[in-house]
Amino acid sequence: MTGRVCRGCGGTDIELDAARGDAVCTGCGSVLEDNIIVSEVQFVENSGGGSSAVGQFVSLDGAGKTPTLGGGFHVNLGKESRAQTLQNGRRHIHHLGSQLQLNQHCLDTAFNFFKMAVSKHLTRGRKMAHVIAACLYLVCRTEGTPHMLLDLSDLLQVNVYVLGKTFLLLARELCINAPAIDPCLYIPRFAHLLEFGEKNHEVSMTALRLLQRMKRDWMHTGRRPSGLCGAALLVAARMHDFRRTVKEVISVVKVCESTLRKRLTEFEDTPTSQLTIDEFMKIDLEEECDPPSYTAGQRKLRMKQLEQVLSKKLEEVEGEISSYQDAIEIELENSRPKAKGALANLSKDGSGEDATSSPRCEEDTEDEELEAAASHMNKDFYRELLGDDGGSEAAGDPDGGSRPLALESLLGPLPTAASLGISDSIRECISSPSGDPKDSSGDGELDLSGIDDLEIDRYILNESEARVKAELWMRENAEYLREQKEKEARIAKEKELGIYKEHKPKKSCKRREPILASTAGEAIEKMLEQKKISSKINYSVLRDLNSKGGGSPPRDDSQPPERASTKKLSRRKRATTRNSADPGTSTGKRLRPLLSAQPAKKAAVGEALLLSSPALGAEPVKPSAVLVESGPVSYHPEEDADEEDAEDEDGEPCVSALQMMGGNDYGCDGDEDDGY
Amino acid sequence: MDADSDVALDILITNVVCVFRTRCHLNLRKIALEGANVIYKRDVGKVLMKLRKPRITATIWSSGKIICTGATSEEEAKFGARRLARSLQKLGFQVIFTDFKVVNVLAVCNMPFEIRLPEFTKNNRPHASYEPELHPAVCYRIKSLRATLQIFSTGIITVTGPNVKAVATAVEQIYPFVFESRKIL
Repeated sequence: MTGRVCRGCGGTDIELDAARGDAVCTGCGSVLEDNIIVSEVQFVENSGGGSSAVGQFVSLDGAGKTPTLGGGFHVNLGKESRAQTLQNGRRHIHHLGSQLQLNQHCLDTAFNFFKMAVSKHLTRGRKMAHVIAACLYLVCRTEGTPHMLLDLSDLLQVNVYVLGKTFLLLARELCINAPAIDPCLYIPRFAHLLEFGEKNHEVSMTALRLLQRMKRDWMHTGRRPSGLCGAALLVAARMHDFRRTVKEVISVVKVCESTLRKRLTEFEDTPTSQLTIDEFMKIDLEEECDPPSYTAGQRKLRMKQLEQVLSKKLEEVEGEISSYQDAIEIELENSRPKAKGALANLSKDGSGEDATSSPRCEEDTEDEELEAAASHMNKDFYRELLGDDGGSEAAGDPDGGSRPLALESLLGPLPTAASLGISDSIRECISSPSGDPKDSSGDGELDLSGIDDLEIDRYILNESEARVKAELWMRENAEYLREQKEKEARIAKEKELGIYKEHKPKKSCKRREPILASTAGEAIEKMLEQKKISSKINYSVLRDLNSKGGGSPPRDDSQPPERASTKKLSRRKRATTRNSADPGTSTGKRLRPLLSAQPAKKAAVGEALLLSSPALGAEPVKPSAVLVESGPVSYHPEEDADEEDAEDEDGEPCVSALQMMGGNDYGCDGDEDDGY
Repeated sequence: MDADSDVALDILITNVVCVFRTRCHLNLRKIALEGANVIYKRDVGKVLMKLRKPRITATIWSSGKIICTGATSEEEAKFGARRLARSLQKLGFQVIFTDFKVVNVLAVCNMPFEIRLPEFTKNNRPHASYEPELHPAVCYRIKSLRATLQIFSTGIITVTGPNVKAVATAVEQIYPFVFESRKIL
């Protein structure tokens, strides 16, 4: 369509036929272009007689089918990975969705969400089941179906919070605002499950009204909607003379019994609960209540205040009582005979300890009197000590719990810090943490300002303590230590037997790009570049070999197809057989003939090559069983697990590079690519 | 009015988490044997050491990395970390106190009113997320500050952020929104 000029006649009238794909000059009829890329739809006939369009679906974002003319027969697993993921996802969604009785529209929407999630790579690192459940729940929320996250977690047997996390992430990444859950949505579903028969609708309506009332009374914020539903339904059922027990309700609603009871008690606290059934149906109370947690907090506050007031009053009362008591005592004393001389001296000294010890050193006859006098002295003394303010408190009122307080205030002044002479260290201890830390980030030096070394020394145990602690710890962790010992013993035994394999983490085999090269030598060079170069191989000889062994002897034909296909396999499997300590795998056995066949060729060159038989060190290599050519076979079967490269290097020159690169598959691949 | 309330609101810092490095290999076994207040978790390979003065718990790894939690202010966290390093020094390791960094600060704040959570979520759509089935609070994330706030219906707000300043700013930022959706008595 570019207004070309015809080569033959020079005319500009060129007809482009899209169907046939050619450009023809109408003047002279010469064909100017052939095989133009057409965009027509073609149809082929099926076996059943119907016709279907020809073509393939190529995804926008994923990689198209790169025409790999060389190897790469792994690619042909049917579809590319993205399409497979989506297909899997669709299948799972339908499976789960049908269990939840979601309609087709919901399932399609869920699949759309899933596609979005996959394109944003949100499925990476997450279990597919979780992502699918999250997509389904998102649909449930946006459509407003009465499905709970709990249902999904029941179906999948997964923790609800794990699902919730995935769901929240999905909603955030897809920027979908799921509308908040209204407990009213769940009522019809639960009512149906509770089987109210004909009165189902009435009970539902009543429950709805109850719920709305609860909402206004602030019972629903921060609570699971299912709990509220359960409470509302229970009350509604009772109102309509259905005897549904708490157990039945909780089995339907999936909350705990205590939760349900709690909701019921909270509802009881609201003024609505005082109405009768008829009144409730007709009237709606105007005022709103505070949320239950708020009222609970207020109640606590009130209790505290009450307690404070009470304690103050108690003190006052105590004060009164003690003053009366003292008055009585004084009267009694006046009427009692005076204390004897020695005792009086002692008591006049005024030290509390002496007063308490005085009853001990006494004659029997005057015991009672003296005791009474002594106790009175004590009381007087205590009162003097504490002064008038605290005196009423400490006057020894046994009830009211002020006794412990009195003791402390009593004993406090007696041995003072000053009298004991440790005031300095105490002050030190108190003031040490108050030192301001300076910036020590500059040179990494530890700034010791404000750190009390003495205290830190206390953190370090001495030897005997360390021993005790070590013993305790050993006893505590005996099981773990035992396991460790067993493991070590096992490893040591395996080492002895030479079977010990270090379990390295499996490295996934990278699929390498097939090498496109024109000659075998070039292919070898490229391959050598790609792989890790081994130092034990003489590459020049290898290259020479290729020229010699280029027309590979016919007997190789039987082996190369096997070898070529197993080569790829063995490359992959080698990585796995190295990790498994199982010597008897079939691939291992297959490796042996491969390995042994090759060095026979090398014998001609006289090179000593290192063989690796990763899993079969002990078994003798039997080349004769496989090899046809007899000749000096010089090779050293060594168990060397790391000579994978050597093996591969061995193989290359002996078989034509084309075959190595999977040349056998030319035909297959070509067919696949062209396939109409 | 808002400014006044800001001043009146007291933000209580409940936890400060910090990390630092000692740049030397630590022999956990020795610490476990000679420390008076340590728990040795051999299966995971760490030692928990608790200090009394600034009440902190430190997790010590043999590589020399130490995580310190439980302090109630940034200065206290640094002080506790230094004390810890000093005690390790006394045990005989060549400790160098480097790379001290406060990683997380947790604070609690009490609003004088209740908050309507569904309304709040509706008004603050992308940042706020409320799932009553999972957690009774609204989770509000401020990306610029890297702070997360959990807003409860009673008016208590829990804030976590990278440092104390971010936490304070977060509370200031959220106050007007929360004030909008408050419950009027």
